[in-house]
Amino acid sequence: MSAALGNAGLLIALVAASVGALATSVAIIGENRRALRQAPIYAAIIVAGSVLAVVAMQWALFSRDYSIDFVQRVGSSTTPALYNVAAMWSALEGSILLWVIVLALFTGGVALRFARRRDDELVAWALVVMYVVMTFFALVSFGPASPFAPGATVPVGFDGPGPNPLLQNHILVLFHPPLLYLGYIGFTVPFAFAIAALITGRVGEGWLLETRRWALLSWGLLTIGILLGGWWSYEVLGWSGVWAWDPVENASLLPWLTGTAYIHSVLVQQRRGMLRVWNLSLLVATFALTILGTFLTRSGVINSVHAFAAGEIDGYLLGFFGVVVVVSLGLIGWRGDALRAPGRIDSPVSREGAFLANNVVFALFAFIVLLGTVFPLLVEVFQDRQTVVGAPYFDRLSMPIGLILLFLMAVAPVLPWRTSSAGTLRDRLFWPAWCGVASLAVAVMVGADGLAPLLAFFLGGFAGGAAGRQLVLATRRQGLRGLVGRANGGMLVHIGVILIAVALAASNSYTHSATLTIGRGETVEWSGHSFEFVGVSTEVTARADVVMADVLLDDTKVYAPAVTTYLQQGMTVPTPSVRTGWTSDVYLTIDGNDPPATDADEVVLRVFVKPMVLWLWIGGAVMAIGTVLSALPSRRSRRPTDPTSALITSGQHV
Amino acid sequence: MSHRFKAWPSWAAMFVVAVALLAIGSTRDSGPLNPGDRIDAISRRVACPVCDGESVFESRNPASEAIRAEIRASVYDGVATDDEILSAIANSYGGKVLLVPSSSGFDALIWALPAAGLMIGLVGLWFAFKRWRAEAAALGVPTEGDYDLVEQAREQHRGTSDD
Repeated sequence: MSAALGNAGLLIALVAASVGALATSVAIIGENRRALRQAPIYAAIIVAGSVLAVVAMQWALFSRDYSIDFVQRVGSSTTPALYNVAAMWSALEGSILLWVIVLALFTGGVALRFARRRDDELVAWALVVMYVVMTFFALVSFGPASPFAPGATVPVGFDGPGPNPLLQNHILVLFHPPLLYLGYIGFTVPFAFAIAALITGRVGEGWLLETRRWALLSWGLLTIGILLGGWWSYEVLGWSGVWAWDPVENASLLPWLTGTAYIHSVLVQQRRGMLRVWNLSLLVATFALTILGTFLTRSGVINSVHAFAAGEIDGYLLGFFGVVVVVSLGLIGWRGDALRAPGRIDSPVSREGAFLANNVVFALFAFIVLLGTVFPLLVEVFQDRQTVVGAPYFDRLSMPIGLILLFLMAVAPVLPWRTSSAGTLRDRLFWPAWCGVASLAVAVMVGADGLAPLLAFFLGGFAGGAAGRQLVLATRRQGLRGLVGRANGGMLVHIGVILIAVALAASNSYTHSATLTIGRGETVEWSGHSFEFVGVSTEVTARADVVMADVLLDDTKVYAPAVTTYLQQGMTVPTPSVRTGWTSDVYLTIDGNDPPATDADEVVLRVFVKPMVLWLWIGGAVMAIGTVLSALPSRRSRRPTDPTSALITSGQHV
Repeated sequence: MSHRFKAWPSWAAMFVVAVALLAIGSTRDSGPLNPGDRIDAISRRVACPVCDGESVFESRNPASEAIRAEIRASVYDGVATDDEILSAIANSYGGKVLLVPSSSGFDALIWALPAAGLMIGLVGLWFAFKRWRAEAAALGVPTEGDYDLVEQAREQHRGTSDD
C-alpha cells in the first residue's frame, strides 16, 4: 500500500513537472497568455505528489512495511520515533526523496510568490527551469533510486537493522541534513531566474532583485546546515573536531563558498550594473557544484575510479551536471553583448574593489577545496596509483585565505563606493584597528602563541571593530531599526563569522589531549583539571546496550562518556561527554573497541581540553540572526537610479 | 574624536604596539609539546589505511589504533623526529597513508595549481583595473556642466541614502 501510494506520488510529480516544463515553454513561445496563467498549477500538483510520496515513505517506516527494500535496509521496530523520521534520509534513495520534496516546496513557493505575475515571461521561464530540474530529480527518484522498490521476501518476524547507528545517536540528525538540503536546493531559485533572464534577454538587475532574498535564505540555511553538521560531528564522532575536510563535508562547502562570493558580488551589480557575467557564472557554479558534490559523494568515485559503474544514479547526476554547465555557459555566451558591463570600477580601494578581491579569494578557496577533493581521482586516472589528500593539506592552504578574508572583512565595511582617500581610511579604520590590537593584547596576556593564531586574533578584533563601528553608527541614527537591512544585518553576519574564525583558530591551535589511566576511586590531575573514576554504569534497552564510565570532573559534576552497542547492527559507537564552558570545553571519550567492564578497576580515558568551542555555536547563531535581519527591508530604501556616492574629483583616487 | 588624534603618529604608535605584541607572542617559548599533543599532531597527518577519508587521529578502526600505537611508542622512545616517524610509517604502509601530498612529481600539481590560480586572479585584476583606468582617462576630465547635472540629480533624490 505504502509503495503504491509512494510510487503514485512520485509519478504524479514527475508527470506534472515534465508536462509543466513542456506546456509552459510552448505557452511562452506561442505567446498564449491563457495557457501561461496555468503554469503555477503544475507546481501545486508537484507539491501534492511529492508530499504524498514522503507521507507514504514515513508511513512505511513507522509501520515497518518490509515489503519495501528501503525499509528492509533502514527500518527497525526498535528505532525511536524521532530517528524513524530521520531514517528517510539515512540512505541514498531516501535522501533523493528528501531532495524531491524540498525542491517541490521551493517550486511551489516560487509559484505562490509570483502568482500575480504568471504571464511575465521571466517568471514563466524561471518556472520552466524549476520544472526541468524537478523532472530530473523525480525521474531519478521514480527510476534508478526508487525508495519504494519492492524488497526480497522476508521471514515472519523479520526486523530491519534501522538506520546507521551514527544517525540515531544525536538529535541534530533530525535537523542537519534537511537544513543542508534546504540550502543546497534553495539555490535552484536564483539559478532558475538567472537562466530565465538569459533566455528572455532581461539581463539587467531586475532578476537579481527578485531573487535576492531567495539567495540569502538559501545561503543562510546552508550555513546553518554546515554548522549543525560540525556540531553533530563534535558531539557524536568522538575525535573532538568539527571539520575533517572529508569529501562529503567539502561537497557542502563548495556551493557555500561560491554562494558567499555571489551574495557579495551581487551588490556590485545592484549598485553599479557591473559583474553581470561573473554573477551569472557564480550562480551557475553554485548550482552545478551542488549536483557535482552529490555525484562525488554518492558515487564513491572519490575513493576509486572503478566505482563509476557501481552506482545507478552516477550517470544521471554526471549527465545532468554536464547539461547544466553546457546550457548555462552556452546561454551566457549567446547573451555576451547584452551582458557587457556598462560601467567600470574606478579604484581598487573602494567598496566594489574590496568585493572584487573578496570574490577572487573565495573563488580561489573553492578551487583549492575542489582540487583537493578530486585530486586522488586525478592521480588514479593519470598515474594508476592511490593517494589521499587530507586535513593537513586543506588546513595549510585555508589558513592564509582565512587571514586574507578577515582583513577584507575589516577594511571593506568602511570603504565608500567608487573610491576612497587615505584620510578617510585613516579616520574610519582607527578604532577598528585598535580593537584588533586590544584583541591581540588580550590573547598575548592569556598566553597565546604562534604567529598564525595571533594574526587571526588581531584581524578578528580588527574586523569585529569595523563591523561594530557600522552597527553603532546605524543604531545611533535609527535606533534598533539600524540593525535591519542588507548592510547592517550583513555586519551582524560578519561578527558571527569572526567569532567562528577566532574560535577555530583557538581550538585548532591550543587543544591539548592526553590518555589517562585512572583507577576506580582514584583522582588524576591533568591540565588544571581533576578526573576521578567513580565507576561504570550500564543501560540496557531493546535497541542497544550502553556502557558509561562515570567520571567526576573537577569535583563538581559526573560526566559519562559512553560506548553504545547497537544490537541489530552489532556495531559499537563511542559517545563523548562534554563539559561546555565559556573559555574551554573538557571533552571525554572512552575506547569504543574496549569499553570497561562493570567491575573494571580502572578506565582508560581520552581527554581533550579545547578552548573557545562554545563560540563556534554562538557565532553560528549570530550569523543566523544576521541573515534574517539582512533579508528584512531597511527603513531607508534606495532607488536603483540613486547616486551611489560622492562625485569623484581628479586626484582623489587612492 | 578629533582628526588630530587619528593622525599618522597615532597609527605609527599602534603599529609598534601590534608588532611588539606579535613578536612577544610568536617568539616566546611555550615549552615542548606534551607527548599526547605530539601523538595527535603526527596522527592527524596519517590516513587510516582501511577507511575512507579519515585520519588515524579521527578513526577508531583497529588498523588506525595499531598505527597510533606505533606513533605513541616512537614518541615515548623520544629518539625520532616527527618527520622520521612519518617516514617510518610510510615505509611500512606505503606512501598513500600520508595525508599531505609530496611536493614533487605529479603530486606537486596540488601545490602548484592553487599558486597558479592566485597568480591568474591577481593578473586578471591588474588587467581589469588597467583597462578601467584607460577607459576613465579616455573620458577626460568632467566639466562644470557635468558636475551641475550630477548635483541636480542628487538634489532630486535627496532624503534617500545608501544603506
